[in-house]
Amino acid sequence: MNVIFQKLRDSLTQQAFLLNKMIQLHRATPSIQHPVWGITNERQYYKMPTHGIGRWRHLLEKKVQRKKKDHLQMVPVVPSAGTVYGTLNVTLSGYDMTVVKCFSQYIHHMCNRLNIKVEECYALPTKTTEVMVMPKHGTKMSVDAVLKTHRRVVQLRSLSTELCPIFMDVLLKNLPEGVQLSVKEHTEEDFKARFKERPELQDLMAKLN
Amino acid sequence: MQHKRNMAAPCVGIVGRPLLHVLPRFGRTTARICHFSYVSAYRSPLKTKGVIESKSSPWNLMAAVCLQRLPVISAEHSPIEQQFKQMMEQVEQEKSLLSDHEIRLLEDAERVIRRQADDYDSDDEESGDQEIVFGHDLEDSWEQNLKNFHPAQRTKADEDKNMSSVQRCLADSLVLLAQQEVGSEKLWLLPQAQWQKGETLRQTAERALASLSAGLDATFLSNAPCGVYKYKLPKAARTDTSIGTKVFFFKAILSHSDAFAAQHCPVMWLKKSELQGFLKPAYMLTVDRFILDL
Repeated sequence: MNVIFQKLRDSLTQQAFLLNKMIQLHRATPSIQHPVWGITNERQYYKMPTHGIGRWRHLLEKKVQRKKKDHLQMVPVVPSAGTVYGTLNVTLSGYDMTVVKCFSQYIHHMCNRLNIKVEECYALPTKTTEVMVMPKHGTKMSVDAVLKTHRRVVQLRSLSTELCPIFMDVLLKNLPEGVQLSVKEHTEEDFKARFKERPELQDLMAKLN
Repeated sequence: MQHKRNMAAPCVGIVGRPLLHVLPRFGRTTARICHFSYVSAYRSPLKTKGVIESKSSPWNLMAAVCLQRLPVISAEHSPIEQQFKQMMEQVEQEKSLLSDHEIRLLEDAERVIRRQADDYDSDDEESGDQEIVFGHDLEDSWEQNLKNFHPAQRTKADEDKNMSSVQRCLADSLVLLAQQEVGSEKLWLLPQAQWQKGETLRQTAERALASLSAGLDATFLSNAPCGVYKYKLPKAARTDTSIGTKVFFFKAILSHSDAFAAQHCPVMWLKKSELQGFLKPAYMLTVDRFILDL
């Protein structure tokens, strides 16, 4: 009996040895059934070939988180040979909000088309004007009409001088009725005028100083 | 000059000066920017000037100004535009909600009906103050105001035919043409002047405009020219120093014109469609390219 067991053991170890050899051989050669996996370095799941087919966030650019205090980033570019204007503010103002909004959209689309970089497109607060009428016989003035002036600003960066006359000409010719156009350079005061006043902070600063 | 726009509201006077007091603002900023570029543009040629001085260009340089008067009133609607406008107004009317004034009229009507009922008690009225002025009265006063308002005439046939007046064709944009002597002939062309050493081409164009007449205030749109016209002299007239002329065009917008200013030479204000009758064909082709007909 012992002899039989020994023979069995020997045969088993021999088979194991042979199996080991075969496995080694198998690993060296690329497998024929799944040819793609051998070449790429991605993590593969053996069950689902379509794993991760819907991934898209890795394709987007990483968004930089803006700080709350948005400082004036653009340093005004002084026109040099080859010439480009600095940050320009195209302000539209008028009484009819739909027309003003529509025209500011038109300018934005046109800048996109002409590859002029639009840095910002914002609205300034509405100013309400009351038109008072004084009757001929009497002193009391009564309200005749309430007019609201809406303002929209399109901020352009690097408008080249070759494009400038064409751009301005098209804007002026397409200006709708009742809308006023103004093109100015962007300044710190324009930027700071958009912020709200903080009286408590100003009081504290005054106390410090 | 006051041009009343064709809008129904009586507050036209406030609105109706869209560009005239805005453009000077723009003019000032461009003047500032112009100063920078003039200085820096002049610095780079200084270095190379020493080399070029000995060999001057055989072309005669001139600068011309394309002065445009923008339309003062809105253009007339074409038949399709009119139909569409009517349709849109109808759609908006049907989709809209009642305005404050219309609600007020309805309330007034209801109140009148309630008053005329037999069991009327004035203490039952919900609103505290009895409104003295009814909605209808307000409407009547507004109608009166509208009748007193007379808009100016849109077009005057006599004015339109006078080619030299600035008030012609208020709905279109016009271009200034002057009759100048070129060589031996008198030609109708955009006002031009010879370039002199030491000034930028834009200054030459400004000089061309000033030499025409003193009463035209214009804002130049840019330092860069918008077009070039090359004219080669006939072979008989060519010499080593002059092959021909190059004319650079600069765009400008008219901001103010004094009707009584003296004109040194005959002047015309023309629409783009009318230009063809007065300009030479080759010149017309170049000018056609940069004048916008919107």
